[in-house]
Amino acid sequence: MTNWLTETVSRGIDASDWLAENRRQSLLKLQDRTWPTRKTEAWRYVPLGTLERLQPAVASSAGYSAEAIPDLTTLDLVFVNGELLSLPDNLPAGVTIEPLAEVSSRQQAWAESVFNAAKPDRHLFGLANDVLAKAGVVIAVAEGVQLAEPIRLLHWQNGGEAHSRHLVQLADGSSATVIEQHLGDAASFNTSFAEYLIGARAELQHYRFALQTGAAINIGGCHFNLADHSQLRSTLVGFGSDLARLDVDINHTGEHAEVLQNAIYLLAGKELFDLHTNVEHMRPNGITEQNVRGIVGDHGKAVFNGRIHIHRYAQKTLAELNNRNLLLTRTAEVNTKPELEIYADDVRCAHGATVAEMDDKALYYLQSRGVSEVDARIMLNFGFINELIEQIELEPLAAWLQAVLKDRFASLRQQVQGV
Amino acid sequence: MSNEYLLSVTGLKARVEEKTILKGLDLNIKPGEVHAIMGPNGAGKSTLGYVLSGRDGYQVESGEVTLDGQNLLELAIEERARAGLFLAFQYPVEIPGVSNLEFLKAAVDAHRQAQGQEPVSAKDFLKQAREACKQVNLPAEFLKRGVNEGFSGGEKKRNEIMQMLLLQPKLCILDESDSGLDIDALKVVADGVNSMRDGQRAFIVVTHYQRLLDYIKPDYVHVLADGAIVKSGDASLALELEDQGYAWLAERRAQDPVEMHHEVNQ
Repeated sequence: MTNWLTETVSRGIDASDWLAENRRQSLLKLQDRTWPTRKTEAWRYVPLGTLERLQPAVASSAGYSAEAIPDLTTLDLVFVNGELLSLPDNLPAGVTIEPLAEVSSRQQAWAESVFNAAKPDRHLFGLANDVLAKAGVVIAVAEGVQLAEPIRLLHWQNGGEAHSRHLVQLADGSSATVIEQHLGDAASFNTSFAEYLIGARAELQHYRFALQTGAAINIGGCHFNLADHSQLRSTLVGFGSDLARLDVDINHTGEHAEVLQNAIYLLAGKELFDLHTNVEHMRPNGITEQNVRGIVGDHGKAVFNGRIHIHRYAQKTLAELNNRNLLLTRTAEVNTKPELEIYADDVRCAHGATVAEMDDKALYYLQSRGVSEVDARIMLNFGFINELIEQIELEPLAAWLQAVLKDRFASLRQQVQGV
Repeated sequence: MSNEYLLSVTGLKARVEEKTILKGLDLNIKPGEVHAIMGPNGAGKSTLGYVLSGRDGYQVESGEVTLDGQNLLELAIEERARAGLFLAFQYPVEIPGVSNLEFLKAAVDAHRQAQGQEPVSAKDFLKQAREACKQVNLPAEFLKRGVNEGFSGGEKKRNEIMQMLLLQPKLCILDESDSGLDIDALKVVADGVNSMRDGQRAFIVVTHYQRLLDYIKPDYVHVLADGAIVKSGDASLALELEDQGYAWLAERRAQDPVEMHHEVNQ
């Protein structure tokens, strides 16, 4: 895979597709791009040589079965090596889900309007995904419909290359929960981008669990447009792999929109996880809170770049971003950069990034009850990320995630300082 | 001697950073006794609890402390707890992300392990913890929350008593467990303490006010001033202090040139 970009461009597009015109436009933009190097700011800490050197395993879908989340019924859409296995039947009234490759003519108009509505052009792999994405679904929740059952987009890959794109529209006053889950540890590459249009007074609960590990390379994004009085609660969880990158865009296109986004990464070995978030407050009275926490052990490397851009007319914006990190070893690394750009004069904003220290008072308190120092340190380290998990409203999902994170944390226990 | 006393403190001097706070404190407590410690602000009342519990930064200069015949000062913080020492904090710390239930089970299991017992089953423990909650009038949902996270002052104090009920220590030190409590919450705390009085377990009750001692009857009352116990008596001493305050301490010092010299230096 020498210069993946050139190769991708040369592949061209499928002109028969309903997205052909959009794909063509993105291809034109892609032709003007250069392949990022270490000097490219957005890719400064992520060596794309890993992708160029990748020798993908042979994908084999035999014998895979999706694991359910205990005590949680979900509307599952399972993608195995980029193939959608099946669509859920008996969808509730007012909810439509169609595969990206076979969108009915009735849905095409709105689906096309969602395509690249929330995802900006600056994401190189986003443009590539525009051109290449074959897998994915378009989901529409009609006005006022409250979809109780979470939709789960489960991606599993054990080789090859796959590109998925999801387009989700919540009409005014509706609500839904979408869980994006990515699994796999074999040498493989995928791009996975999702765009969400959240209508006026609509509410989206969003989860993205980027849980690929090992040699699985995943580059993706979640992009949201928020109309007036809409709400987004989002939880991102990242395990690192040889290369894992997630770009988030949150666009306050309406007034009085509220966003709470919590992000967690937990890295071991030589894993890399790179999270870029960008929040655009374009309209007044918006609220954004982002809490990003990570634990990095071994030779792991985390990158966080969090930008909040408050436009000139976005008065009365409340925006808060904080990134806290626990580094378990001297060789663990975190590169964090919060950025605030404010062009309005009547706003309240705060940002901060820290490498967290163990809280001595908390440690003493736990020990004073008989808990050993080692166990106390482990408890406090896990508590550091668990604090964000506890904010998840879906209890079975929180419990499942706690177990998943505890399991991963177990491998890092020995590295907890003082243990 | 060591068989007679549950706690024996002899000539204890301790400092925080460069400042000596305890200046030769003696205190002997037999099983089953309740000792109240009163005294003006800054006398070293809270320091005594921290020093006994082994908190970092509280350095013992000299003196001896034994709990049940065991040299307390050579034990780590958690070993002191497992040996039967419990300090109910004046300001319990909030630990978001660590659930109360998980923390309490870890604490109870650590105690059991020290006594050569198997860990308690999750089911049995939940039952015990719920009962303890009920006893101190805390809703069982508190078990799911982060340790002290978002608890009111009174809830934090009751949570301390709840932990005491679960850990069944030999010696309980209550550091101003009455401060900031209304009369109902005070009764809950006192009832929790009284329910644990079994003729063996001993208590040190640190307080500013006689009020708590109406509910927890002390066998002895000590006045701690300037790092040492300057006066001891029975329960009536607390009433006396309530009447007279601590002005007499200054007079007493004025008559003692050494004390006075010390005072001037400070």
